[in-house]
Amino acid sequence: MSAAAHTHDQAHDHSHDHHEPGFIQKYIWSTDHKVIGVQYAISGLIFLLFGFMLMMLMRWSIAYPGQPIPGFTIISSIPGVGWIFEQAIGRWAPGGVINGELYNMLGAMHGTIMVFLGIVPLGFAGFVNFVMPLQIGTIDMAFPRLNMWSFWLFFISGIGMFASFFLGTGSVQTGWTMYSPLASTTNLAVTNIWLHGHTWWLLSMVFNISASLLGSVNVITTIINLRVKGMTWMRMPFFCWAMFVVAFLLLLAFPPLEVAALLQLSDRVFGSSFFLPTGLMEGGQHLDISGGGSPLLYQHLFWFLAHPEVYVLILPAFAILAEVIPANTRRPLWGYKAMVYGVLTLGFLSFLVWAHHMYLTGMGTMISTYFQITTVLISVPSVILLTGLMISLWGGSIRFTPQMLFASAFLPMFGIGGLTGLPLAFTFIDLALHDTYYVIAHFHYVVAPGTIFALFAGVYHWYPKVTGRIMNDFLGKLHFWPSLLGMNMIFAPMFIQGMAGFHRRWYDGGKYFEQTSGASNWFTELNSNFFALFGMEVSNSLLGLNVLVSFGAFILAIGQVPFILNFFLSVKGGKKVESDNPWNATTLEWAAPTPPPHGNFDFEPVVVRGPYEYSVPGMDQDYFPQWESEPGKRAEPSAAPAPAAAAHH
Amino acid sequence: MDIPYTVTARPDTGLYNAKVGIWLFLASEVMLFGGLFSSYIFLRVGADYPWPVHELNVTMGFINTLVLIGSSVTVLLAWASIKLRKFTAYKVYMAITIACAMTFMVIKSFEYRAKFTHYSATLTDGTILTGHLPHGFEIEFGGVNELTLTVAGRKSAVDADPVSYVLPYIKGDAPKFKTEDGKEITLDANSFAQLRAEAHGKAEAKAKADNMLQVPNWTIKLTAASPITFSFPPSKLLAKPALDAKSITFRDGTLIEGKIINDKMTLEVDGVDLRGTPEKDKSLAWNEHYLGSVWKNAFIHQRDEAIAEFNKEFNDGNGGTTRDPTKSASQQKKLFYMHIESATPAAHGEEGPKHSAEAHAPAEEHGAAHTHHPELHLERKDVLFYSNFTPKLNSYYAIYFTLTGLHGLHVIAGASVLAYFLIFDGRRLREDPEHMANRVEVGGLFWHFVDLVWIFLFPLLYLL
Amino acid sequence: MADSPEEIHKSIKKILWVGGLLVICTGLTVWLSFVELPTHSLNIIVGMILATIKAALVALIFMHLNHEKVIIYKFLFFTFAFVLALFLLFYFSSIDPLVFSQF
Repeated sequence: MSAAAHTHDQAHDHSHDHHEPGFIQKYIWSTDHKVIGVQYAISGLIFLLFGFMLMMLMRWSIAYPGQPIPGFTIISSIPGVGWIFEQAIGRWAPGGVINGELYNMLGAMHGTIMVFLGIVPLGFAGFVNFVMPLQIGTIDMAFPRLNMWSFWLFFISGIGMFASFFLGTGSVQTGWTMYSPLASTTNLAVTNIWLHGHTWWLLSMVFNISASLLGSVNVITTIINLRVKGMTWMRMPFFCWAMFVVAFLLLLAFPPLEVAALLQLSDRVFGSSFFLPTGLMEGGQHLDISGGGSPLLYQHLFWFLAHPEVYVLILPAFAILAEVIPANTRRPLWGYKAMVYGVLTLGFLSFLVWAHHMYLTGMGTMISTYFQITTVLISVPSVILLTGLMISLWGGSIRFTPQMLFASAFLPMFGIGGLTGLPLAFTFIDLALHDTYYVIAHFHYVVAPGTIFALFAGVYHWYPKVTGRIMNDFLGKLHFWPSLLGMNMIFAPMFIQGMAGFHRRWYDGGKYFEQTSGASNWFTELNSNFFALFGMEVSNSLLGLNVLVSFGAFILAIGQVPFILNFFLSVKGGKKVESDNPWNATTLEWAAPTPPPHGNFDFEPVVVRGPYEYSVPGMDQDYFPQWESEPGKRAEPSAAPAPAAAAHH
Repeated sequence: MDIPYTVTARPDTGLYNAKVGIWLFLASEVMLFGGLFSSYIFLRVGADYPWPVHELNVTMGFINTLVLIGSSVTVLLAWASIKLRKFTAYKVYMAITIACAMTFMVIKSFEYRAKFTHYSATLTDGTILTGHLPHGFEIEFGGVNELTLTVAGRKSAVDADPVSYVLPYIKGDAPKFKTEDGKEITLDANSFAQLRAEAHGKAEAKAKADNMLQVPNWTIKLTAASPITFSFPPSKLLAKPALDAKSITFRDGTLIEGKIINDKMTLEVDGVDLRGTPEKDKSLAWNEHYLGSVWKNAFIHQRDEAIAEFNKEFNDGNGGTTRDPTKSASQQKKLFYMHIESATPAAHGEEGPKHSAEAHAPAEEHGAAHTHHPELHLERKDVLFYSNFTPKLNSYYAIYFTLTGLHGLHVIAGASVLAYFLIFDGRRLREDPEHMANRVEVGGLFWHFVDLVWIFLFPLLYLL
Repeated sequence: MADSPEEIHKSIKKILWVGGLLVICTGLTVWLSFVELPTHSLNIIVGMILATIKAALVALIFMHLNHEKVIIYKFLFFTFAFVLALFLLFYFSSIDPLVFSQF
């Protein structure tokens, strides 16, 4: 939280005329959308890092099964930290060797934390809270107090998830999907069913869902009702459009997950059989249940959320890039209208494709054909979005700032992720690839080098507006290149392993199945020879790729160090911005003072043109901000009703 | 610096903020109940047992529906009263609305309570007996001389805590125990904490001596001064005990050895459901030590009468019937479900069990209304599954409780918001009635939604 | 929105009428549920039609959906589309299981 505090120290300068609230009111119980945005973003970053560390442990277990974690004894012997580590992780790893139970916990929590506590809070809640009200020119969100509650409910859910590691049972072990019947019946033999990692997961999810509900109601209402004078729908930056759609996805897709969580809670705690079929046996014994439920019901409810959730993860990336790319190529966003309609179509279709995650559940051919069709259909709007961003690069004079590097890396990375998804849309291919590393690689290409790169781009892009200082360029590049290398080292080999049938839940990385996982090809040979250069002996087999992947993860981890340094050091040490609009961008957030005080604008902003007027022919400067009637002159409030001066490109 | 459009509507959308907000929230609620109702459909389509129809108390449901409709009307009248600036009328209408919400919840709680005390036992042949368990259901396990406690070496899901999880089930007073080193103790929180610390110390010493990676679990054996008898509901155990269990593990991992003294379930039967029994005449329920042939004959008599009645009602003129009795849920219920409302069946000449209940009325003088019902001692080997009428019983009751429970939470939430308006918003009412009217309108919208959900719940759960 | 006193008096009248109608419909639903129609599915369909009528009355009159702003209709339309998808696709996938004898 310290960075949030730092960040807003400077806000004092701009807000002397206001009643000065105390520290707690200002930074803890704040109702200011900017503070809440920063709170969300920083908690999101912390959770991303935490989820990443869980993954590092998993990668160790996969690459070196049965060998103790390096540094285990050192960490365990640090007073305080050692105790926490012992309670959360160590007690499952005798001598530092990760066992299957711990691996399952790490896997489940990695997924949950990354999706629900990392990317959504940072990508959606963080950015939308900070940027969107500024972009549409309003003073705050429509319901500031609900906004505060949204953050604190989210915070409770994060604490609940984190604390579940310390319960007697450890945290939940059934994957982030929590498939019943396994998830309804495992580990019920405990002293107290309420002090159970699984129960805490479900309850935390209920808090998380409530938080996102409040947040999305707030965002939609703000966009509908609080747009500033002249900000018509089609003058709204694409960022707001995409976030508007995301908010709708959160609003309408999350409730069925809440239902699923409540029903599963009922199954576990009250012994009901929502997801348990008749005659279910476990360990050779009939369970003490009535049966009559359906595991398929759980999957339907879960994926009804979780597929739109995929777009909740990716659309903030497009939203951010639609701001970053035009500002750095000095070109208008290509196909603004097409992208707006594309994102709306994408949002609509995303509700109708969920069961493509369930081809293996025994759905009939009729219904799975339907889902194959919609799944292939949804790639059309996705391609429109990606194409729009890609063509925006054409003929631009690109400034390779760190945010632009991340943005330009996003495009091919998302492309790989998207294209490898197409085969999975078909049942006959999915039957073979389901739950293999191929799937892991596919969706990680979308969300890791895809979304997370875009989120980094967003952090570099808006950091000057939040703090008044620009993040260091060199450290930014030092962050980008290892990240790009690490990401590809992690996920590219997974395609090869996946097609060879490596299952995503093998905690030993496939060592037990050496007869199949021991196969080799030219790539494994290359891999083995590569490591031989460094004097390391890595087997010439698909198993050997595990080592490569884990090294990739290590490089990625090292690559984040410059970012963390940059993030904290630039608060005080970064280069000060010379104007309120350091990137010479066109959207309204750059018209506000830096950092924006409580209440945002020091003049009454009025919008007179579209959001991406870059390199307008015949102008001296290469950008024409939304709020200027002529270059360098703010539009008067009376100018608003006038039609837009220039059409979209 | 105020947020615009909190009171007046924005000209181009025609809406004030809260109204957009509440409709979005309701859209989300539609999805929530949409998910629940689609679960209902999914469970009902896939049910492998006769879906209960008219099993709940229709009168109570009906009254509750009227109460909710009434409150929906009064909340609108409250809003209209503010618009007309009749503040007293507003307060009265609002108070009526909240009173209606409370009435609804009180009626609901009576419905719930009746279900918690009513049990259903499925026998191994599919026969279902319903009734009350006058003493609950507890297994008596005796001849226990020793408790084996397991103290977990590291924080664990199952760890010895006999004070909370074992002692409550000892029949009579807990005896004195002897520890392994011969000390005599009374088992309570203090003495156990001491034992635990000792065990942990020993385990740590052993781990050090043997160079073990983790502190091992340590068992403590406590010898009882006199043999103990335990009595516990099977659900309190770590795992379901086998039929001839020689040892029992409590939830905290404590193990006892002995033998089962009594595991018969005493059930005061008030209904026999044979719809799931393949051979109705050979049901376990007709065993002589259960209901016996007297009740079997009563059942056959009732069934024959129902068949005759059915044949008469749907006579097609050629000796057949116009409807297929196997396809009529209510007919199946008439045929194979028998209410039992007396200790012995009515003689065939008499009208029905209802009359006989009156005939047996003097039994109440004994002070036990239960004696109206035959008391069976079911052997555990005959009982496949038993539960009270809670979510555990079947997917119908599971979805019933989930739907009505969530709806109830919405009622409480809505009523609390309205009560807040009534009690704490007096100043706004006087100074800014237009804003107050907006608030009441928004609160009212939520309240109507709660009513709307009930409109679907009532027929789906109570009637159809 | 009814804002002048006359209009409000008028709408109060309407509200009371609709309230009465709802009570009658509820009574009708209960009565019909005890009438044995040729199949139980028919009972369900009739009951659900009545419930939908009641719900429509509440939504249109009590919740003023008969004269609401366009934007609310817009997002409610999508909500209902998704709920319908939820119902139908759940239903279809539960009645269309993979039958192995087809292979």
